Amino acid sequence: MANQTIVIIGGGPAGIEAAKGIGDLGYKAILIEKRDRLGGNPDEQQYAALTPDLRNAEEALNEMIAPLNENPNIEVMYNTLVTGAEGEAGNFTIKALQLGKEVEVKAGAVIVSTGFQHFDPGRETQKYGYYEHDDVITLTDAEKMLKAHNFVRPSNGEKPKRICFIQCVGSRDRRIGNEYCSKVCCGMSSKQAIEVRQLLPDCKVFVFYIDMRMYGYWENEIYWPAQEKHKVNYIKGMATEIVKKGDRLLVKGEDTTLRRPMEVEMDMVILAVGMEPSEGTKQMASIFGLKQNQYNFIETTGGALDTVSTNVKGVFAAGACTGPADLEDSVSQGGLAAMKAIASVRKAALATA
Amino acid sequence: MSKIEKERIIEKESATVQGIELSADWNRMFMQRVLFDYDTTGLDKVTEIPGAESMGWCYQCTQCIPVCPVNAVGGEYGPRKIFRKLQQGMDLFTNDDLWKCTTCMNCLRVCPKAVNMIDIMPAVRGEAVMDANVPEELQEAFENTFEYGNPLGESQRKRADWVKEASVDVPIMKEIKRPVDILWFVECYPAYHHRSKNAATALAEIMSALGIDYGILGTEEKCSCDSQRLAGEEGLFEEFAEQNIKTFGKYKFNKIMTTDPHALNALKKKYPEMGGDYEVVHYTTMLAPLMDKIEFKNKLNYKVTFHDPCYLGRHNGEYQAPRDILNAIPGIELSEMGRCKEQSFCCGGGGGGMWLDGFMADHVNERLSENRVKEAVETGADVLAVCCPYEVSRFEDAVKSTGNEGKLMVKDIAELIKEAMG
Repeated sequence: MANQTIVIIGGGPAGIEAAKGIGDLGYKAILIEKRDRLGGNPDEQQYAALTPDLRNAEEALNEMIAPLNENPNIEVMYNTLVTGAEGEAGNFTIKALQLGKEVEVKAGAVIVSTGFQHFDPGRETQKYGYYEHDDVITLTDAEKMLKAHNFVRPSNGEKPKRICFIQCVGSRDRRIGNEYCSKVCCGMSSKQAIEVRQLLPDCKVFVFYIDMRMYGYWENEIYWPAQEKHKVNYIKGMATEIVKKGDRLLVKGEDTTLRRPMEVEMDMVILAVGMEPSEGTKQMASIFGLKQNQYNFIETTGGALDTVSTNVKGVFAAGACTGPADLEDSVSQGGLAAMKAIASVRKAALATA
Repeated sequence: MSKIEKERIIEKESATVQGIELSADWNRMFMQRVLFDYDTTGLDKVTEIPGAESMGWCYQCTQCIPVCPVNAVGGEYGPRKIFRKLQQGMDLFTNDDLWKCTTCMNCLRVCPKAVNMIDIMPAVRGEAVMDANVPEELQEAFENTFEYGNPLGESQRKRADWVKEASVDVPIMKEIKRPVDILWFVECYPAYHHRSKNAATALAEIMSALGIDYGILGTEEKCSCDSQRLAGEEGLFEEFAEQNIKTFGKYKFNKIMTTDPHALNALKKKYPEMGGDYEVVHYTTMLAPLMDKIEFKNKLNYKVTFHDPCYLGRHNGEYQAPRDILNAIPGIELSEMGRCKEQSFCCGGGGGGMWLDGFMADHVNERLSENRVKEAVETGADVLAVCCPYEVSRFEDAVKSTGNEGKLMVKDIAELIKEAMG
């Protein structure tokens, strides 16, 4: 008889949603998480508020996680790192290390939801001096400060008077190898710009961009309010260089619509870093033999019409391990993966009955 | 030019380019290319004003620029450009850019963000008016309106003198002392202007022939002040609106007909906010369905092109009535300009432009009316038909200045109807 249990690897938004869906449908779900808590990047990176609705991230995640603990069908294995797997659809054996101890888990299907990591702005090129200038930070650094309600210049602890975001750092870049758009950074920057303006009403906020990619409702839910209500200044044109000028930063670029060079002083620069596959995603691809695309994200096989099936029967992928994804994408994929995984174990069970 | 822009000009003592010394001082002046700052105080000052908030909404899609008439004549203008200048520290309240907009509404028609110059302009100009920072010619029109009740500076007592030039009796409300069907709001230019008056007398004769029961306010009528309002004189507008509403209250009528699309705009959109809520129609809207009741004696062998007034078309949605009238006049062949109906090109008279011709000459390489007249000539028309009292004189001047005298006549639609009636 085929195994009816479904293992989910990675407890971020996609994995949580998948586990929840499986449990709710009366199937056994085992969620394997390498950390000692769930929540994935939004938790680990201490997101202040979610994009696009600006909901308190901690509150929203807790609400999402709570039902897992109440459902006897769902088991969460914390501090557990998957190290190997064998078998096939209907009959997988997953090997893992739980706090240094070897464990084995049997499953009929597997959902990989090991997510992404933010681009390291010091990788490949040091265009913006992330490791040189204290006041050049990333979106994730900014999230932590916003969560603490203490948005200050790292160099001197003072409140900034002028800050700017630089978009597309580590995305849409052939030289770096990340040709894709990371999809969420325009929205996250705009969301943070709103939060900064709310926290520091005297601080001028600028966003330097190639083109703002605020698809769907993000346009009217984040971008427009940022400009119209919170008076964030969007300047079309990328900054190319950041140099120190006194105790401030001189941001150099070209103002595209004016066709003029710009050299403007800023107290802080926030680099809108994009997404890359996490180490966990790369490892799982290797362990399960999942096809990866040229950027090392897990390649789903169904194109636009099946966003979770992989080249390995019985193994599904959901969330940002499959490519740049926002929360909406991740959660939707999590639910779809749950449904497909259940269908897979159910079919196997019916065939052997 | 604002102070900030002046500061950006660098004049060198001497300049040598490829071994040649440039002697003329204008060759040694350079604009600072590098932007060292985005001083957004100029933008913040504008968007803080009630009514002008949408100035800050521009996302630089640039759709407004190709349809901005001022930009088309070399005015370097349009909401997108103003927004960028404001982001760089321009003080719009003291900048000439404040007075270039004719409120023609072509930008708003195409703006996805609803950046509304029709609200922004009067709001920001209102501040400049309070600071007495108004171009001289415009100030004169304001003062004339304030003192005489009309921007032409004519005596209020003579406001009904034009009726003597009509071949029919024009009923004046305070004289006839009875309810009428139509209260005709004549407005200043048709009442006083030597050229616009012809449309008023023609209209009186048409109404009389049609047996329409109407009356005018005569010397009791005051300027609707819609253009003064859009040029920043909200106070003047309100004062005159109150007076007009009070006068309307004295008489019984079913609806108001206006000669002037600008008056139509004020009475239809602004008077209700002040307690004066009437059914208001432009004369073309009223006459169009009555055309089959007119006996025409003459066939007019004209090829006619029609200029949609901004405040009749884009602002108030009437495109069809003037065309229906023209098509009903025997002999007229209507030939449209490329920029017609919603896309009509402003004559330059709206939003205070009527009183800023001298000022505008310093900022553009041709008048809007000249640009428009050239387009009319291109259609091969004999007659440029209009139905806004600003336009006859503006376009006739432009016909002369563009060397098209003898090629193109400018006639109000009322004049054309009358001409065909014989």
